[in-house]
This record gives sequence, structure tokens and C-alpha cells, in this order.
Amino acid sequence: MDAGTALPSLAAKTNDAAERRPFSLAARAALTTGLVLAAFLGAIGWTLSRTYNASEINKLQGRLHDYVITYIAGTDPRRDGTPLMPDTPPDPMFSRPGSGLYAVVLGDDGFHWESSSALGRDFSFLHPLQPGQQQFIGPIDTELGRLYYYSFGVALDVPDRPAVHLTFTVAQTEDELESNSAVYRRSLVGWLATLGVMLIVLQLLLLRWSLTPLRKVASDMSRVERGHSDHLDSQYPAELTGLTDRINAFIDSEREQRTRYRNTLADLAHSLKTPLAVIRSQVEASELPPPVRAPVLDQVRRMDELVAYQLARAATTGRQTFAASAVPIAGHAEDLVQSLEKVYAAKNVLCEFDIEDGAAFYGEQGDLLELMGNLLENAFKWANHHVLLVVKSQRQPGRPRNGLLLSVEDDGPGIEADKVEKILQRGVRGDERVKGHGIGLSIVQDIVRAYNGELTVDRSPEFNGARFSVALPPT
Amino acid sequence: MRILLVEDEAPLRETLAARLKRDGFAVDTAQDGEEGIYLGREVPFDLAIIDLGLPKMSGMDLVKALREAGQRYPILILTARGSWQDKVEGLKHGADDYLVKPFHVEELLARINALVRRASGWSKPVLACGPIKLDTTAQTVTVEGKAVDLTSYEYKVLEYLMLHAGELVSKADLTEHIYQQDFDRDSNVLEVFIGRLRRKLDPEGSLKPIETVRGRGYRFAIPRSEDE
Repeated sequence: MDAGTALPSLAAKTNDAAERRPFSLAARAALTTGLVLAAFLGAIGWTLSRTYNASEINKLQGRLHDYVITYIAGTDPRRDGTPLMPDTPPDPMFSRPGSGLYAVVLGDDGFHWESSSALGRDFSFLHPLQPGQQQFIGPIDTELGRLYYYSFGVALDVPDRPAVHLTFTVAQTEDELESNSAVYRRSLVGWLATLGVMLIVLQLLLLRWSLTPLRKVASDMSRVERGHSDHLDSQYPAELTGLTDRINAFIDSEREQRTRYRNTLADLAHSLKTPLAVIRSQVEASELPPPVRAPVLDQVRRMDELVAYQLARAATTGRQTFAASAVPIAGHAEDLVQSLEKVYAAKNVLCEFDIEDGAAFYGEQGDLLELMGNLLENAFKWANHHVLLVVKSQRQPGRPRNGLLLSVEDDGPGIEADKVEKILQRGVRGDERVKGHGIGLSIVQDIVRAYNGELTVDRSPEFNGARFSVALPPT
Repeated sequence: MRILLVEDEAPLRETLAARLKRDGFAVDTAQDGEEGIYLGREVPFDLAIIDLGLPKMSGMDLVKALREAGQRYPILILTARGSWQDKVEGLKHGADDYLVKPFHVEELLARINALVRRASGWSKPVLACGPIKLDTTAQTVTVEGKAVDLTSYEYKVLEYLMLHAGELVSKADLTEHIYQQDFDRDSNVLEVFIGRLRRKLDPEGSLKPIETVRGRGYRFAIPRSEDE
């Protein structure tokens, strides 16, 4: 389930950490309930089957007892004291040889009688019992198979003679019992399995339902990450509000801190650059001799460039791991170009766009404006008539935020291949600049670096001027 | 050309104002946004220079307020931070150009000239009306290719008239836009300037570039010929 997928990006996990990722909550719950359910249903099955067996044996004992009583009731002693066995057995199975239901009568004077079913079979394991004694034995292994038997000892009164001691035994092989309980077990297993499946399905449904808030948090979080939402703003159950409130507070404080930082930088810029502006204007207006003026103005220029560059660098927020807003590019590009068209009105530059629908920059709006603003201004400055801005999204499965390909082309003189290196290498030190490409390009490079991107400079295939391309990877 | 300069840093404001005046501009200064909005609404300026970091009312709000009050003159903003966010916002709210502090005064003057020229509908830096050409960058005037030597005030008067070529320019407009103070409004200083200009531009009296509209003012009579 996806409950675990959105959260790890918070901690920026690496791949080998993902291998050791613990089971998802759903898997844990499914596993444990599955095991518990199996053990539980197994125990129920076992108990029921045991109980059934016991009652079957009980019933068997009763039945065998009944047969014995019927035989006893149907037995009459002859005059000579030998018993006369009944003609009709209590159950037709007694007359079918090998039917599995046998009756044997033993007398203590060597009398032996068997039902037709038992003819020719060995019942040597039976022993006579004292009158009144009874026993139920089984299952025992005999050559007839496993069987249960019930024996009852009686004393048959014969007139004028001593009573005849007889032991009535009725035996039944286990087969019938077994087939009965096999049927029972089958249906028991069938029902229990059905029950088990139903319970597991129910359990999974319950689990889904109870994990819904977590999934909601995960999807809200990913909306925040994609910049579609400012906060985790759904209603969450009480157990989660502690977590979600903290995350919201964290998002707020991160934003607040960025705003404060930006304001501080703006103040700093103002308070550093205004004195420089004063010095420059005073010196330029003064009557100072050139040997004094030139070095002062030169130092002012150096300081200005350093301050501007370092402040811009500090203002670069860079890639954010969390809660970046998705800054739509088209609108800002439009604003920038309108501004530049106003400023460069005299040049009459035609700026065209090719911006993919919905292309967005995941980061600070200020960074995007600096990036595009500096590249576009550069193009406006050098172009004869045409500037082209191309923006494309780069999707990558598994990365919630798309990457960007942004290029700005112009029909100006372009940059010679051997100068490209020089232009790109500068920016390590803010005060070494190639004439014409001001501090703007250093700022662009810093931003690109802060977003782990890449800046390339080549010749525009369409306009034959310079082409600056920025590739920002998906995150 | 009458310029509104709103800048809170006194030394910068004063040096700039002095420099602009030396170049023939009439300059009114304000040290905060509130003073700026007061002046900006009352006085018919040709251009305003507004620092974005102002006390009381931010420069951005001042630009917005001036535009909302219906003021159409070009506005140039000065920004210390120079971030694109500031520039875009400023331009979106009605500013026409920006300069990042610290700037060169020459750069500022060039931008001012370009803005004023553009605001009166001239797209090229050389204003051409028939044989008379006024180069706003070099601040030179030629008639049929021959340079004409003008004083700073004469140049400003001609520039103003040519910027508004074809339109009626009242004496009050001229004095207000050219002179720092409304001094000698009733004197004939202006007539003297116009007379000198006519003689310098048209010694033979064949072009008649500046027309007097009796009782109302002047009009630069040669139509614009910018397409050349």
C-alpha cells in the first residue's frame, strides 16, 4: 500500500536504506491477523473434530449396547442349557458376511456363536466376562481391521440347572465411524475455510478503512511537496493531529524564515548600496582631479559588484526538500518579458515563447525570476530582433516534482566556442567579469548549481545567436 | 523638463538634484513617499525618479498611487537590491524603467532622455522635423546638417517644443517645465529665448519652425519626419 511511500522522501533516504525498509502497516496487519486467524480456526477445527469423535464413539457405544441388549433379549436357553440364538438379527448387516458389524457370543462352557457376518473370522481377542460385567473397548487392531466392541456378561437362567454364563459382544469396524467423521471433517473444513476467507476479507476491508487517514496524510503531503497545497489541510483523526499539526507548524516556520531572510537581505542591500550610490554620485559631481577620482570610482564599482553578487548569492534559496511551492512559469515569463519590452522598447525586440502547458518550477519564486530575468535580459541586450524562450517539463517516474529544460536564444552575435569556458568559469570570484556579461550570469550559475542543475552555452540553431540552456533535474 | 525626484538619502538626493539642474532640468525633490505623492499629484511633471526603499510609503506604493491618480508621465525606479522581483513588480505597477543602485549619473541622464522622448511618441533618439534634427543623446541640434550652437536653456526649450511638435504649448507649460521656480512668470524672458531660437534655427526666416499662437502659446510647426 502507498502509506509508506511518500514519507521516506522527508528523510531523503538512499537506495540501500530502502532495501531494509520495514513491512508496511497493511502487510504487518494482514500477516498477524492471517496467522492469528489460521491458529484460531485450526484450534476450533481440532476441538470440534475431537468433540464430534467423542460423541460418535459415545453414540457407537450406545448402538452396540442396544444390539447386545436386543441379542440378549432374543436369546432363550434350551432345555439342555445351551442358548438358542435369535433367528433375525437386529440389523441386516449382521447377516452379510464381512459387513463390518459382528456379533459373537461366548459361553464359559466353550459355547461359541457368531452372527453370519462374522463366520470364519477370528475373534480370539475376546474374553468371557462375569455376569453383569460390561466393557467397551476400541479402537483395537485385529485382523478384521480396527474395531470397537462392546461386551456384556450375563447369566442365563435355565430351569433346574445352573445358570448359563454368556458374554455377548457386538463389534464394529472403524470404517463406518471413519467415513462418518470424514464427511463431518470435510464439511467442517469447508465451513471453516469459508469463514476464514470471509474474516480475512473483512479484516482487509477494516484495515483499509482504518488506514485511510494515513493514506490521506500521505497524499496531502505529496500535494504539499508538489506545491499544489500550502498545508496538510484535511480533517484527520485525533491520533494523527499531533503529527499533522507539527508538520504544518514546520511548513509555516520554514516559510516565515525564508520571508524574514529575504527581507533582511533586502534591507542589507539597501543599507549597503545607498552609501555606495552616494559616494559615486558625490565623486562624479565633484571637482576632484582625475588621478583621485578614477581609483575611487573603480573601488566603488568593485564594492558594488561584490555586494550585488554576494547578496544575490545569499538570496538564492536553492532546492528545497520539503514544501516548495510549484511556481507556474508561463505567467512569470510573461511578466518578465513585458518588463523587458518596456525597458528595451527602443530596440523593438520580438520575444517568442514556447512554454509547455503547466510547466512549473519547484523552488523559490525569486530564484526563478532571477534565473529567467538574467537570461532574458542578456538575450534582449544582445539580440537584434528575436529572442526565443523554450521551457519543457521533464518527467521521471517516482519523482513527484518534474525537472525543467529552459533555454533562451537570441539572434545576436553569439558567443565563440573558446569564450564560453571563460564566461562560465567566472563567478567563482565575483569581481572578475567578462565585459558585457555582467553579474547576471554569475547569479544564474549560482542558482543552477543550488538546484543541482546544469548550464550550457552554445549557438542557437534557429537564430544563430547565443543559446543559454538550463537543465534542472526532477526531484 | 520638470522632474520629480523621491529619494530618502539626503546626500544622494541633493547631488542628483544639483546635477539634473545643471543639465537644464527643473527638479522637485521629496524625501519620503508621502511628500512624493503630494507633489506627484499636484505638479505636471515630465518624469519621476522614485527610490523603492522609501520611508512612510514605499516606492512601490508611490508608483501605484501615482498611476491610480491618473498621472501618465514616465517613472524610473531606483532599486538597491536589484532583484527581478522588485523590477518586475515595479514595472508591472506602472514604472517604465529601472536603475540599480549605485548607478552612473550619465546612465541616469540617458535613461531620462529616452523615457521622456518615448513618452512623447518619439521612438528614436534623434528628433527630426524637416531639416531640423535634435539629437537627445548628444544634446546637439543641426539644421540641414549644420550644427547650431545653443545654450542649455535654449536647447531645453527647443527640445520641449519638438517633443510636442504639432501641439500647442502654453507659456505657462514652458515656464513650468523649463524653469526651476516660477520666477519672472510675467517677464518676457521666454519671448527672448524664443526670439533667439528663431534667429539661430532660421536666420533667413524661410522655415518658420516656431509659430506663435496669439495669447495662448507656441507650436512647433514643422511636422515630425521620423520615418526618414
